[in-house]
Amino acid sequence: MNRQAMILSMRCLLLTVMAACGAAQNSGAATAGGYVGSNACKTCHADIWLNFYKNPHFKSVASGDLPPSRAGCESCHGPGGAHLAAHGGKATIPNAFSAMPQAKALEVCLTCHARDFQKANIRRSEHTLAGVACTSCHSIHHAPTSKFLLAKKQTELCYGCHAGIRAQFEMPSKHRVNEGFMECSDCHNPHGAFAPTWRMSDHPRMVDQALNDEEPCLKCHVDKRGPFVYEHPPVRVEGCEVCHFPHASTNERLLRRPVVFTLCLGCHNGGASGTRNNGVPIQTSQHNLLDPRYQRCTTCHVRIHGSNVDETFLR
Amino acid sequence: MTNIFKGCCLILAAFGALRAQQVIAPTDEGVGIARGENFANYNIVDSFELGYRWRMAGGSVDTYRSDANYGDGIRLLGSNLSINSKDGHGRWFDEILLSTSGLGNDPYQNASLRIQKNGLYRYDMLWREDDYYNPGLLISGGEHRMDTVRGLQDHSLTLFPQSHFQVEMGYSRNTETGPALSTVQGFDTLSSAFPVFENVKQQWNEYRIGVLADWGGFRFIARRTWDFYKDDSGYSFTGNETSGVATDATVLQQFQRSEPNHGSNPGWFGNLYGSRKHWALNARLTYNLGNGGFAMNELTTGLDRFGAADNRQIVVNGDAQRPVVAGDFSLSLFPTSRLTIVNNTAVHDSRIDGDSYFTEFDNGTGAATTLNFKFLGVRTVANSTDLNYRFSDWFSAYAGFTDSGRQIRFLEAFSIPSAAGSAVSDLYQQESHLNAGTVGVRFRPLQPLTINLEGEVGHADHPLTPMSDRNYHTLGGRIQYRKSKLQLSTGYRELYIENAPLSLTTYSSRSRQYNAAASFALRDWLTFDASYSKLHLDTVGGLAFFAGVQSPQLQTSYDSIYISNIHAANAGLRFGIRSRADLYLGYTITKDTGDGRASAAPAGVADPIATLLDSVQTFPLTYQSPMARLSIRITPKVRWNAGWQFYGYGELFHLLGYDQNFHAHTGYTSVLWSF
Repeated sequence: MNRQAMILSMRCLLLTVMAACGAAQNSGAATAGGYVGSNACKTCHADIWLNFYKNPHFKSVASGDLPPSRAGCESCHGPGGAHLAAHGGKATIPNAFSAMPQAKALEVCLTCHARDFQKANIRRSEHTLAGVACTSCHSIHHAPTSKFLLAKKQTELCYGCHAGIRAQFEMPSKHRVNEGFMECSDCHNPHGAFAPTWRMSDHPRMVDQALNDEEPCLKCHVDKRGPFVYEHPPVRVEGCEVCHFPHASTNERLLRRPVVFTLCLGCHNGGASGTRNNGVPIQTSQHNLLDPRYQRCTTCHVRIHGSNVDETFLR
Repeated sequence: MTNIFKGCCLILAAFGALRAQQVIAPTDEGVGIARGENFANYNIVDSFELGYRWRMAGGSVDTYRSDANYGDGIRLLGSNLSINSKDGHGRWFDEILLSTSGLGNDPYQNASLRIQKNGLYRYDMLWREDDYYNPGLLISGGEHRMDTVRGLQDHSLTLFPQSHFQVEMGYSRNTETGPALSTVQGFDTLSSAFPVFENVKQQWNEYRIGVLADWGGFRFIARRTWDFYKDDSGYSFTGNETSGVATDATVLQQFQRSEPNHGSNPGWFGNLYGSRKHWALNARLTYNLGNGGFAMNELTTGLDRFGAADNRQIVVNGDAQRPVVAGDFSLSLFPTSRLTIVNNTAVHDSRIDGDSYFTEFDNGTGAATTLNFKFLGVRTVANSTDLNYRFSDWFSAYAGFTDSGRQIRFLEAFSIPSAAGSAVSDLYQQESHLNAGTVGVRFRPLQPLTINLEGEVGHADHPLTPMSDRNYHTLGGRIQYRKSKLQLSTGYRELYIENAPLSLTTYSSRSRQYNAAASFALRDWLTFDASYSKLHLDTVGGLAFFAGVQSPQLQTSYDSIYISNIHAANAGLRFGIRSRADLYLGYTITKDTGDGRASAAPAGVADPIATLLDSVQTFPLTYQSPMARLSIRITPKVRWNAGWQFYGYGELFHLLGYDQNFHAHTGYTSVLWSF
């Protein structure tokens, strides 16, 4: 360990000296607007510059044809002339993210990223309304992986605020998020999503759509997508969560109830709801609920998500 | 510089502290040191963890397999590779990122790959495979079993990713194959169900190509997609099986079903985005023409409910279509730097129809032919407006209003003159309007302290189901304190759907969530995190069903009640032992205490219907999982790891007579090489 640390220290020291030499040549070369270029920054911030070539933002430096206002350090932090003249200090950095209000940090990032399709709805996302800004989740200079520059593994980031959701994924029946098979962003867009095409199009605002315009569940569970000649209307109209918990459940198959007939009878009670205006049909008189055969609805109604050949989903 | 190095270690340790407890392997890579070797103009960082995983399970192994499902064997538990060009001008690529997990037969395997060259191309690949085991538990009487493999992959290639004109191409694939058991009823809808073998063969492929162009300050995206779905699952049964019910003499002797279902969904997607200093707009339009063609031939022979020899053949063919249009238009205004106003209009229209020629032959008498046709049309138009105002750097507020209208048209039993006995057309139409208002405030009295409070109230005048939102409100709040070494948070959220007064048409649900979490990096070698959540849910709804000891009668005086009180907690403690070893101890528990009762059905209830309904009102259980993981540095590039995790699942009442409890010890030992 000591030998490794020494080698690393020597490398950093050498880089610092070289950068200092370069900065000495550039220090008086502030351009219009106070931009000095990234070469000046790495004089003192060698620790950041050392691995910056692994950062996606390094593309702006590598391109070589962008002005300082759109390349490297100053494209995010603003012109560094004053900071250089003052020989450092956070107060002289126009955009010092650790000291900025989150709303301002969002605006700086959106200078370039507003046009990303995945961020098209960020202005109305629940994260933005709740004051969650880019730097709440992304670490530009200390991200463990350069892909998306997340400050931590994605699930751990989300659990940091959503402890109740974390508890759900530790239930016995769950989507395999903790196991690494899935990630939150498989279903959610943390930057905001288009209005849902299910339920009444009101909420949620951060559930992404799959296959252009469908509920994300159908991205994996394509066999439930149809189209079916006989659709089970709640599936198509209200979405999967009318019967299932989307994250996890103590009930098998993520169902909202441990015993399926209580779920089915919740709607099939002849009340004034349903597509007929006169109630969702109740069971026939031959279905004696005291007979165990009729307590397990899906034993016979096997195609409960939709069928092409039977309007009662028997096959 | 040594301080910088120590600082980096501290940051890594702090990140480690905040990690949620994962499954036991692969080993957390944060325990390593900064690595990387230079080769030519590239820097290469690599690591892989190879090991052996074991398990010992008792009780209901079926339930264990439907939950954790880890088995025995050698695994490439995890690997990471990154290759980066040091000047951003590599010849063929500037970056390669590859990571894998669980390769070699873990039930959850995945790999992701990114290769890109700045300005020229970016390729992303994601591959996953899930060993899905479902033992067919109580909801289907234990008869629906699945032991399938689901494979998912996605490939995406973007050309000229940093330019004003980009080309996107992609391919996705989703397959599920394997054996399963389904069920089929004997010869009519009153006979018992029999298990039949199902050979699951489902496949979905999507191809897409699109362009992205920046012009005149606007960004346009157009994409064309084609996806194809095939379900060629087959069903069969051979043998003699009786129903086992005294009043049902059905015997299934032979069953064969072929049911190919092939469909496609050609679609278009378009997006327009533009922004200026004081406004921004965002519009989206999608169109998917879903269609599927199907045929089914089913042959059943045996004895019917009355013991008479019977055979039945069902032949169905037809197709179904579902054209869907969805559009959004969002206009954002920024009249001042403090105020943001966003108005969003969304339209969604889908029409589902098809024709299905249903022929049911009694091969002995040649009876019954019915032809049915259904139509389901759903059109929703929603408009919402949000105002977000920042009064100061430490206080801001927002408010929103949503108005949504939905029309559903439903056509049943469409009459076809050529089909004798078919019913007349029944057209139903339902319209519902939803109005909802939201308000929230944010405080930040101190830099690390944030406080959020929000509430929403809404009303829909004609929800589709009793469980849908009719009169609802939400209240929520969160307090969070975040420093580099310490994070504390607590939150509350409630959602009440109050459709009282209770009757057959109404349903009420109350859910409340409380949570608290803490993460603390006490030293660079000692970190701790813990959280607790309570999830409460109680619902009540009206019921109508037929039941009776002698003969079934319509019952409308019973309610459906469900009560759940889930307490969930987890804790993790991480020790670094003299930079030589890393020990992690963790524990999670999920405990549903139900409504506190000691037995499924209260004693002294004589009514069998009440006894049945009482027994399904609550479902207390305990599910816990302690774990320990040790990682020891052998050399700076090699570590030895070992871990153990226990799963214990216990239901209190064994609903419907099924005992699903299990306990399992799992563990692994591995070597992690880092370069």
